[in-house]
Amino acid sequence: MKILVCVKQVPQKDAPLKLNESGAWIREDVSYEVNEPDAYALEEALRQKEKHSGEVVVITTGPTRAQQVLREALAKGADRAIHLEDPAFVGLDAFNTAKAIAAAIKDEKFDLIFTGLQSDDYGYAQTGVILAELLGWAHATIIMHIERSETGIKVKRELESGYFQYVEMPLPAVLTIQSGINKLRYATLIGIKQAKNKPMRKVTMAEVQSAISPNLQKIEKLYIPHKAKKTVMLEGSPAEIAKNLVEKLKNEVRVL
Amino acid sequence: MLIFRKALADVDRPQMDADVVIVGGGPAGLACALRLSQLIDEHNQQHPEQPLPKDNIYVLEKAREAGQHSLSGALLDPRSMRELLPGFEKEAPLDAEVVKEAVYYLTEKSRFKLPITPPPLRDHGNYVISLNRFVKWMAEKVEAAGITIFSGFAGSELLLEGGRVIGVRTDDKGVDKNNERKSNFEPGYDLRAKVVILAEGARGSLTKQLVAKFDLQRDRNPQTYGIGVKELWEVPSGKISAGEVIYTMGWPLSTREYGGAWIYGGKDNIVSLGYVTGLDYGDPRTDPQHVLQSFKKHPFIASLLEGGKLVRYGAKALPYGGWYSMPPLAGDGWMIIGDSAAMLNSQRLKGIHLAIKSGMLCAETAFAGMQKDDFSRAQLETYPEKVNQSWIKDELWKVRNFHQGFEHGFWGGLFHAGLQQFSGGRGLRARYGSKAGHQSMQKLDTLPADGGERSQILGEARGDGKLTFDKLTDLYHSGTRHEEDQPSHLVIHDTNICNTRCITEYGNPCHNFCPANVYEMVETSEGKQIHLNPSNCVHCKTCDIMDPYEIITWVPPEGGGGPNYDGM
Amino acid sequence: MAETILVVVEQREGKLNRVSYETLAGAQAIAGEMGWQLEAAVVGSGIAEIAAEIAAKKVSKVYAVESPGLAPYTPDGFVAALKELISSRRPRLVLMPHTYQVRDFAPKLATALASTLISDATGYVKDGDRVLFTRQMFQGKFSADVSFTGEPPYFATFQTGSFRGDQAAAGDAPAPVETVNVEIADGVVRNRPEPAFKEAKQAVDLTQAPIIVAVGRGIKEQKNIEIAKQLADLLDAELAASRPICDAGWLPMDRQIGSSGQTVAPKLYLALGISGAIQHVVGMKGARTIIAINKDADAPIFEIADYGIVANLFDIVPPLMEEIKKAKG
Repeated sequence: MKILVCVKQVPQKDAPLKLNESGAWIREDVSYEVNEPDAYALEEALRQKEKHSGEVVVITTGPTRAQQVLREALAKGADRAIHLEDPAFVGLDAFNTAKAIAAAIKDEKFDLIFTGLQSDDYGYAQTGVILAELLGWAHATIIMHIERSETGIKVKRELESGYFQYVEMPLPAVLTIQSGINKLRYATLIGIKQAKNKPMRKVTMAEVQSAISPNLQKIEKLYIPHKAKKTVMLEGSPAEIAKNLVEKLKNEVRVL
Repeated sequence: MLIFRKALADVDRPQMDADVVIVGGGPAGLACALRLSQLIDEHNQQHPEQPLPKDNIYVLEKAREAGQHSLSGALLDPRSMRELLPGFEKEAPLDAEVVKEAVYYLTEKSRFKLPITPPPLRDHGNYVISLNRFVKWMAEKVEAAGITIFSGFAGSELLLEGGRVIGVRTDDKGVDKNNERKSNFEPGYDLRAKVVILAEGARGSLTKQLVAKFDLQRDRNPQTYGIGVKELWEVPSGKISAGEVIYTMGWPLSTREYGGAWIYGGKDNIVSLGYVTGLDYGDPRTDPQHVLQSFKKHPFIASLLEGGKLVRYGAKALPYGGWYSMPPLAGDGWMIIGDSAAMLNSQRLKGIHLAIKSGMLCAETAFAGMQKDDFSRAQLETYPEKVNQSWIKDELWKVRNFHQGFEHGFWGGLFHAGLQQFSGGRGLRARYGSKAGHQSMQKLDTLPADGGERSQILGEARGDGKLTFDKLTDLYHSGTRHEEDQPSHLVIHDTNICNTRCITEYGNPCHNFCPANVYEMVETSEGKQIHLNPSNCVHCKTCDIMDPYEIITWVPPEGGGGPNYDGM
Repeated sequence: MAETILVVVEQREGKLNRVSYETLAGAQAIAGEMGWQLEAAVVGSGIAEIAAEIAAKKVSKVYAVESPGLAPYTPDGFVAALKELISSRRPRLVLMPHTYQVRDFAPKLATALASTLISDATGYVKDGDRVLFTRQMFQGKFSADVSFTGEPPYFATFQTGSFRGDQAAAGDAPAPVETVNVEIADGVVRNRPEPAFKEAKQAVDLTQAPIIVAVGRGIKEQKNIEIAKQLADLLDAELAASRPICDAGWLPMDRQIGSSGQTVAPKLYLALGISGAIQHVVGMKGARTIIAINKDADAPIFEIADYGIVANLFDIVPPLMEEIKKAKG
């Protein structure tokens, strides 16, 4: 199986984020890491390859620094990488990001495309599904298990409230992978060293420009969520407090 | 039940051969790598028929990314960088050139400005930098030069053979809380190297192994340290200008403790401030994070920070011991550079330039070793000889007795410092002795219960949530993160001491000196017991240094864990 | 003619997902503020009852989009059906709840109509004749107001809990229901789903719990966890904890809330003996209502609590359980 994994570089979870002068984006001089759900997508692709043989290709969009997530993927065992390299890719909406990826892989023939279920920065949870629509492929989201079937693949989708569902689907297909589907492997020293010699194809903005359009949505303003909370202190004897609280649970919080 | 990290037995370890392994991707290690690369490039140009390879030179860095664990004030004396990369100012991330400086002596409510800035603290021509960004930039240079940095890999053990260092073992990954292998277990590599260069920073864990193994500190002063606790603030514009430098002495420390504060104005209204507390204080309740909080309450400091916001927090030990505490710098198969070798001028509170210079000199020796394929002690000792002939010696020799002079308090220290200033560093004696800092710690029963004149630095800080913070809140801003399911990397060799003797004798100073809430005494049915939160650790090494019974050993946790010092 | 908002309510296996009322309440608010009209649609097979249920709410019309090909749910089927409806009815704005099902097909639907979806919004802002949608970014560290810059139809989904379902206003009279029969051609639906099944999850997913009872150091001893568990059971809540509790092994790690555990935003978060260190608070401050019981009046948890009780939790929890039992009858 030939699998493409879309990975994204996002600010590290603990990075101190600050707004930039435009007030609509962050200052980018922080540390980055691979989007965590994408790491699970990569791991799943590597496991599928180990089972069925084939090729794992990783792709990302973003400035030069984004190459780091490709290097890490190559170090863990991906075969080659594609980097849509330009700072402007960061500002694309999900629709255009998917279009740019579709354009960059138009000469490739993948059986599967994996993405993480959403990104830790925008949190759209959309790019993979849009990509499927643009390519005309079947898709399924929030996947917890993948196996080959006679006509394609059988996947286990996570639904809400502890429900799951098996879905049979044809190939090629796009799957968005749920975090926790597997246990991530570590990169090894030899893997890191070998990654330096694996192919990395660079795609410029100019090469995909004709495929993309003006963004269809725009962040007008980014701000720290303001929450004006007034704490109501409940006082009295324990019995009075308990009574009072149950009133609140009934009438205000409405959980009873 | 506390389970500590230990070497796993019966592990089939992958091997990798290396020419040079540099442990630690800080200023010293990266400067060493860069200089080595330059020398090899020059050689290969002149001798294309006998090229030297770079692909077997490696830097090990325990942080997820080089720079993530780098914390300093920081002011950069550009001297060594100009030697390493002439014209570096044009491309390096520098916040501002120092334009203004002042030194104050603080009392609780007042401040006295020293009429002239003492020469060692004159900083014109130096740069305010974020060491984190600077190191990141250096790491990019090193990678671009074709040298591999293994980020997220710690050196966990030195490989020794017959008195020689023959390599480094990297950390085992995927080991659970009970020292059992997880399904994704990945054994550490045995990196067999012709030479290992230790650039781990202050109190390096491999350096400590080496020093102990060969008793390297035997005829030196014991190493002494301070802990710098730092906060990065964003303040309203106009409070302090980029390139403004303020040093203070005095409050909130009493005259018995060694230490002082820095305030540096960076660009974009970022202020770096921190307090260095000497790790030779007497009262075991002294809490360096509390020292910084009390410092900020001084009216002068509070006014500087008013309307501002805490951005980041961190802490790190720095070596104070100077020239006489420096371990031997080279032996069979090994060299030591940077803070690991005490390359720090405690009078000027600067070590980055010395770390870089030591790395460069070490690279010259390593290069010669590669040419001759000789990494014996005799060959590697050309590195300490180069240090002796360089301006490192000039600079450190002048201040060789500086910190020792303060061991009996501030006023005595000023007296000695003054004498030394006029006698080329000699002072009253040719060599001032020293003792390890933890030996200064006094037992609780000899100290006033209420703390006396030191109450403002003892015990936990409460924090008002605006100007001052409790430790956990500060800690949150260090961004520290570790794999949770791993054994404790703070190895306590005898927890009975913690739970019995230490409670009565010192009152468990660990929970005070640790700036990261790693150590806690928890009430249990069997009385107070030590409890550890290893994933809070910010890798400052203070516990390894200051514990009065010397029963704590800091070993590297699973690589990749630790603080995120973005912008620090 | 006034612009129209279309709310696509969610049904699963013939049952209305109640979260749809939240979206309806939000849509009513937008419609009122903008002077737009509001219609609703339900998609599936044999959905007349659900359509009638929605028609009781204050909407001007309900579309029952029917086809045997729409059961069970598949993204291909739903997109085909809704594409047809939206192309012909031309609403300006299509609103849906941000459920796993909607996440599965809504981006495809928007793309099929050459448009875009603002996903996982928590609210909206009127900006002249535009509606901006507010959504969290960077895992809640920032909020963003996002606008549509292309041509309608615009799509947006609302996060669970963004509006109160019980505030979806009823209509004066039932709205007309228009049944729209769509044909799903052979070969359109490619996925073949099997029936959903419940499975004990390997890891506890606290993020989905509507009510969480969380314990902190104030619980004192491992045996006291039981009292918190009883309270949680009584409230149909998940039990969670701050770090020291999981560290001590009193509850498993996957019940830890905070920077090194899970981040949750339940309807109710009941914090028992939790001081509220920032490491914990970042994992739960998004909760709709926070009730804190702590004996330390200075505990920072009270700064973010909606209701605070300064008391020993062991004094409060037993009578509280009695009262809850009474209230539940």
